[in-house]
Amino acid sequence: MSAPATSIKGRAFGDRVLLALVILLSIIMIAPVLWVIGLSLKENAELMANPNSVFHAPYTLKNYINTIGTSSVFRWVLNSIVVSGGLTLATLILSSLAGYGFARLNFPGRNILFVIVLFGLAVPEQAVLVARHQIFSMLKFHNTYHGLILPGLSASFGVFLMTQYFRAIPKELDEAAMLDNAGRFKIFWKVLLPLTVPAQATLGIFTFLGAWNDYFWPLISATKKDMFTLTVGMASTQTNFAQSEGIGFLMAQAVFAGAPILIIYLFFQKYIVTAVSGAAVR
Amino acid sequence: MTANIEIRNVSKQFGAMTVLDDLSLSIKAREFIVFLGPSGCGKSTLLRMIAGLETVDGGEIAINGERIDHLPPGKRGIAMVFQSYALYPHMTVRDNMAFGLDNIGVARDVIDARIAEAARILEMPHLLERKPGQLSGGQRQRVAIGRAIVKEPKAFLFDEPLSNLDAALRTRTRIELAQLHQRLQSTMIFVTHDQVEAMTLADRIVVMNNRRIEQIGSPMEIYERPATKFVAGFVGAPAMNFVDVAIDRSGDVITVTFADSTVIPTDIASNQVVDGAHTFGVRAEDVRIAPTGQGNVDGKVDVLERLGERTLVYTRLSDGQIIVASDAGNSRVAVGDTVGLAFDGRKSHLFNETGRAWHARRA
Repeated sequence: MSAPATSIKGRAFGDRVLLALVILLSIIMIAPVLWVIGLSLKENAELMANPNSVFHAPYTLKNYINTIGTSSVFRWVLNSIVVSGGLTLATLILSSLAGYGFARLNFPGRNILFVIVLFGLAVPEQAVLVARHQIFSMLKFHNTYHGLILPGLSASFGVFLMTQYFRAIPKELDEAAMLDNAGRFKIFWKVLLPLTVPAQATLGIFTFLGAWNDYFWPLISATKKDMFTLTVGMASTQTNFAQSEGIGFLMAQAVFAGAPILIIYLFFQKYIVTAVSGAAVR
Repeated sequence: MTANIEIRNVSKQFGAMTVLDDLSLSIKAREFIVFLGPSGCGKSTLLRMIAGLETVDGGEIAINGERIDHLPPGKRGIAMVFQSYALYPHMTVRDNMAFGLDNIGVARDVIDARIAEAARILEMPHLLERKPGQLSGGQRQRVAIGRAIVKEPKAFLFDEPLSNLDAALRTRTRIELAQLHQRLQSTMIFVTHDQVEAMTLADRIVVMNNRRIEQIGSPMEIYERPATKFVAGFVGAPAMNFVDVAIDRSGDVITVTFADSTVIPTDIASNQVVDGAHTFGVRAEDVRIAPTGQGNVDGKVDVLERLGERTLVYTRLSDGQIIVASDAGNSRVAVGDTVGLAFDGRKSHLFNETGRAWHARRA
């Protein structure tokens, strides 16, 4: 009788320690975010005089009003949305079609082609950067949306993920649909594709976040301020405008910049957790 | 609508391996045919060839006199129920049933009427708005059958549809399938490796083994007069007893002699049987338990299987051969007892090394 009671007590204590640890880690994680929000709500002059003023009133929305009125951050957010959204949409379409083809169609050279696609996973971006830059210069693709989107479309991971997912769907579903008089495209569109939504969500989230946070290629391809994505734009403000425009103003821009990602996270939280844990969504 | 199906000299290869070899079969309209055989015998492949899910490498398949082996699956006028049911998981039951009709442009009101009728027949109107994931195995099975019914096909194909159900549900669904056949009066082809399903459902059973048909016949024909040793061993539970014997055909009927010199008279006509090595076959219910020394031979009881209405007695003869006998449900025989075994020669069978069979005149 006493041994199980002790064991339950021990477990309860362990749970409390774990809870305390999680709370501590959460505070460490959220502190910079709160710090950024706090700074964004303070007058620049007040912060310059005393950084500790962030801990007490008065607070103001002036930096946000200035951001809305004068900053380039909206343009950069728009650029990031176009690039990340376009890249995500195109990746989902191409990866789904390619995945279906590799999983379900019999064509000569299929296996060799799939291996070649997988080789793409092993080629780092830096290895092709110079050649890509030269080609894009010749084609005048720099400082354009398609110049920012196209390189991301060679999505080996997406093709691999979707191929594996299509392969896992029982072929009896295709066969049942064939007996139901459905053509190949209808089987793909109406029967199989809806079943890949969890994989699409995982791939979409990874692709969107990857594109949103990408810094390297936009830094090279987008040289005009109007074509900056958010990452490049934010980096440029930190090097050029911190003194002239003030830390509070920059932090207000950062809050604007982070908002879309936060919204995406809130909507797709379930899929992000699943994607990270690698489990299937049912 | 119903169909007679002609399968003529059909062959199928997967790479270098021949799966079906020059197979012919005629299925009558409204007939319930069961393809029965062990795993890998080609029965599912044959069904899939009728459905159009496998190509026909040789021969032809016709429905109502019209060749269909070149037509895509959806144009053959048949419906199939899969072992895994193959319901579309993201669609409701109603949409699952409507999908095939939508694809051929059937009017919405006709689709609704057919779905309502199928749901009524299968007693599942309350399931129509659910998705397959919210259904039990038995309910999914009904939906799969319903999806087939609404198409009003010329023939229904069933690919081991009961094998994913538990024992009780399998028995109930089996009866429902038989009732469905009576009600719809459609041609039905049912693939199984379960002989109980075959015996209870079929008008005729097609026993298949090793790429070819071993026997076609009614369940009782197959059971009582198996065409080959394979059929005799495969159909019936427990399997038929086989004992290697020498034969004496000097009289009108054959007399067999066991290795231990036990002699058993049979009712098998001597003039039919050809020379060679022979195996004597007798079913458990045709072996009676007798007091020691009063049967044809004595055996020691190894195992008892009490099935309620009867008891299966597994006995070992002096030469090590196992003979299964059927005794009363309340049999007093115990493991370790020595019992007499009395063979009913009037219901015995004889097989030669090629598997060819001869039967007692009253078997």
